[in-house]
Amino acid sequence: MNIAATGGPPSIEVRGLRKVFWQATSGQAVVAIDRLDLTIAPREVVAIVGQTGCGKSTFFDMMIGLEPPTEGTLRIGDKSPHADFDYFRGKIATVFQQDRLLPWRSALDNAKLPLELIGLPEAEQRERAMTWLKRLGLGNFINAYPHELSGGMRQRVAIARAFVVQPDILLADEAFGHLDEVTAAELRETFLALARECGSTAILITHQLEEAIGVGDRVVVFGTSAKLLADIPVAQWPKEQYAVLREAIQLTLQNNSADPRLNRDR
Amino acid sequence: MTASNDELREPVRNFTFPRHTLVSLLIFAACWEVLSHLAPVLGIPPFAIPSLVKIAKSIGTITPLDIAVTLARVMAALVASFVLGLALAMAMYRSHSLEKYLHPIIRLFMAAPVVSWILFAVLWFPGVEFRIGFVLVVVCGPVFLVDTLDAMRSVPRELRHMMQSFRPTTFQFFIKLMLPAIVPTIFTSWKVNISLAIRVVTIAELVGAVTGIGHQLSVAQELFSVADVFAWTIVLVALLFMLEAVVARVEHRLLRWRT
Ligand SMILES: Nc1ncnc2c1ncn2[C@@H]1O[C@H](COP(=O)(O)OP(=O)(O)O)[C@@H](O)[C@H]1O
Ligand SMILES: [Mg+2]
Repeated sequence: MNIAATGGPPSIEVRGLRKVFWQATSGQAVVAIDRLDLTIAPREVVAIVGQTGCGKSTFFDMMIGLEPPTEGTLRIGDKSPHADFDYFRGKIATVFQQDRLLPWRSALDNAKLPLELIGLPEAEQRERAMTWLKRLGLGNFINAYPHELSGGMRQRVAIARAFVVQPDILLADEAFGHLDEVTAAELRETFLALARECGSTAILITHQLEEAIGVGDRVVVFGTSAKLLADIPVAQWPKEQYAVLREAIQLTLQNNSADPRLNRDR
Repeated sequence: MTASNDELREPVRNFTFPRHTLVSLLIFAACWEVLSHLAPVLGIPPFAIPSLVKIAKSIGTITPLDIAVTLARVMAALVASFVLGLALAMAMYRSHSLEKYLHPIIRLFMAAPVVSWILFAVLWFPGVEFRIGFVLVVVCGPVFLVDTLDAMRSVPRELRHMMQSFRPTTFQFFIKLMLPAIVPTIFTSWKVNISLAIRVVTIAELVGAVTGIGHQLSVAQELFSVADVFAWTIVLVALLFMLEAVVARVEHRLLRWRT
């Protein structure tokens, strides 16, 4: 499936992960992640929800491998995304808040960027990128520049860019939060369907409850300093109970400690 | 409303008749001509303000070889300055300590007057071409360096972060993100440096060169020929405008994505 390697995605193991930033402005240390333990199985689709500033993006950056852990380990399979940075080229793909397209590149050239980086032949790059843009409904906008596209369309290009390598692991940080409700829901659906089809492990980070619950498999609730407040197998919850679930997560976030209703299955 | 085919087509060039420019040039020329005839009455030596006819004659004696030589010097020096400036800027972007060490030296280079560089060049290097090249590179290189380094610094963090997340090699990072991102600045920098180089090259050519526009200017000065000085100045200005137009053309082509 994956074009950079064969075999399914490896599992993700986070053990005692800590990340401390030194903030020059305040002259203080900020504990962004405090001893996080988390296991994500291959092909799982996980939503991570938490309030602004709780360390979600820091966790995201560490998954990408841009930041080394201060303490503890984060391993994908038997490798570290930071120490084995190059190993994961073409295996981990990201969608960010805001599309982050290169303004001087057309939709097609933006979508094929990750393929250029892994050195696929030019013809194949174009073909793959074209296929994904068409699947995302952008068949008529292949040569359009980002500024000629709407916000939703640009995010579609960004999603195509993530999928072209058919990554083992897909990471999305607040990827739909800036879009209007309807577009966001539509794109989320598309994103999840494609992720399942590709057999990728997908981690969606969000501060919106609806989005987190809508994702399906599993919702991980982060408290301050990425403290693991709750780990909810949403799939096991009956749909009629979603309102209860929503309320329980809401209270969990507010109190920075797990609502008892969330632990009923454990 | 229906648009005709012509309206739909992208305008190739919006040519507007340069009415104001022409009028002001004509007025200037007329004043000059009047002054040149009044010169004896005003007690000004006759060679100081030559008539337009005399200037036209001087333009007729312009030697294309000198123009070509000066142009070649300017272009070679600009290319060398650009390559050097950009390479150093990239190295300084990558290495913070290199930047800290080089920054003061570059400030110093930029603060030193052009005349000092010319004198240094004369004292240090025997070859005329090398002297001219040295002066131009020392003057233009830092401009390229500072401009491109600044531009690299201001590439949005979000884009760098995005690019990094796809794990480029250092080379890919520069080729696929940094360079294209700073293209607009590169063009601005070229425009600034072209006019700088054209003005500096003539001074540099005054010292020791036996060809080039600067040399011709010094000959004209020795002959007290204001008409010749005028003619060569016109050539220099025309050369500058022409080069700027070429850069603007290329810029328009390459930066199409912006409009
Ligand atoms: N590069 C950094 N330097 C210093 N502090 C940082 C840095 N990145 C994040 N932080 C701090 O870490 C905490 C968590 O931030 P972040 O992970 O962005 O939260 P979230 O994405 O959940 O809103 C915040 O207090 C933030 O100020
Ligand atoms: Mg965030």
